[in-house]
Amino acid sequence: MELLSKISFNLQSGFDETVTALTKEAVEKRIPPDEIMNIGLIAGMNIVGEKFKNHEIFLPDVLLAARAMNCAMEVLKPLLIKDGIPIKGKVVIGSVKNDLHDIGKNLVAILLKGAGFEVIDLGNDVPAEKFIRVAAEENADVIGMSALLTTTMPVMKKVVDMAKDEGLYSEVKIMVGGAPVSKAFALEIGADAYSYDGANAVETVESFFRENS
Amino acid sequence: MRSITKFAMEDIKLPQKEILRSQGIPDEASLSENFERIYMEAAELFQELAEPKAIIAGIGVSDFEEVFRGEGLNEKENPVEEIFRKSSHLALFAVTLGPVLSEKVTELFDNGKYAIGYMLDSVSSYAADKLADLAAQHLYAEIVGRAAPANSLRVLNYSPGYCGWHMSGQKKLFEALRPEEIGITLNESCLMSPIKSVSGVLIGGPGEIHEFVNSYPFCNTCIARSCIERMRNAVMDAGG
Repeated sequence: MELLSKISFNLQSGFDETVTALTKEAVEKRIPPDEIMNIGLIAGMNIVGEKFKNHEIFLPDVLLAARAMNCAMEVLKPLLIKDGIPIKGKVVIGSVKNDLHDIGKNLVAILLKGAGFEVIDLGNDVPAEKFIRVAAEENADVIGMSALLTTTMPVMKKVVDMAKDEGLYSEVKIMVGGAPVSKAFALEIGADAYSYDGANAVETVESFFRENS
Repeated sequence: MRSITKFAMEDIKLPQKEILRSQGIPDEASLSENFERIYMEAAELFQELAEPKAIIAGIGVSDFEEVFRGEGLNEKENPVEEIFRKSSHLALFAVTLGPVLSEKVTELFDNGKYAIGYMLDSVSSYAADKLADLAAQHLYAEIVGRAAPANSLRVLNYSPGYCGWHMSGQKKLFEALRPEEIGITLNESCLMSPIKSVSGVLIGGPGEIHEFVNSYPFCNTCIARSCIERMRNAVMDAGG
């Protein structure tokens, strides 16, 4: 248990190399991978999330912790798959067609991974068809779309409409975000949720799974 | 008048507190050592990689009316139209920090260096806005240098996508200005590349012309909210 606390502590400080080394050590000591993930990594990220909410730390600190989390997950992922431990949920994410802004989308992807979700990042300039195709192929739980321009926001509606046409609408939750996007817009186009920042996006995706459990 | 200007790096000031404020971080916040290190690294990378350039072209009111009309999608009532009609000087402008910075941000994210990537992006966004202010100062100096200075003259920049000027106005603006000459292009959604670029019109005239009441319907959903400070500065600088 002391080792898992060390993992959590070093993750909070963003020491990626130390967290990776400690995770390997935990694996060698035959600590079950789901325990390493839940008691070491996710517990550490939860503390990071709380401190961020309370303005004790800021986004770059969170991103350093998220990087440490991702490095450690690279070690654990094959073991989790081997043990048949289900992933928390799968999210397909991207910036919509003709929108080349991807910082906000990247932050959401990083924070979702940090919260233990599997994220398929389609990048930027993503056509509506690709969101739908990949979500169906990957059996995704959530589609997340970002737009930073009023001129690219209509692509979000196209994705929602296509999800309806392809019978995906009841299977996949659709979340939208980006500077010009609002809750009212999300409702208007039939998206399930609007998120105003990365931390809120994680809470929103978590809430989708609470609804379903 | 049509000119291309390369700005010196020392012209672009990067006040840490202001940049952090733009990230929502209050002045009194205590920052971690990690945070301070990341900020310093980002500021150094910015100094190394930015290639600040501007293109500025004077334009008459009637020609600008055509540019401003754009695709006919502007808000019916908007402050820009009222302001430019009262102006004494108008010029189209575009500024850019060049493509290398954006490429570096992408590279940093791709390599998992999220914190430094985010910070570099944030510093660059701040600097791009400041570059637009430098373009305004450049026009001011040109006006004052070539004619008798008017004490109350103030030049402010306005861009498509803000204050009721529809984003699609970029198309006509690009046709008239041709900022491709300094490496800025426009995609079909009116997004500029390199991303850290700003375009619009520089409007010169007495400080008071820049004042307006920000109660237009679109003001409720405005994400910039910089008009109050801009107006205050324009009027105060003009001795108002």
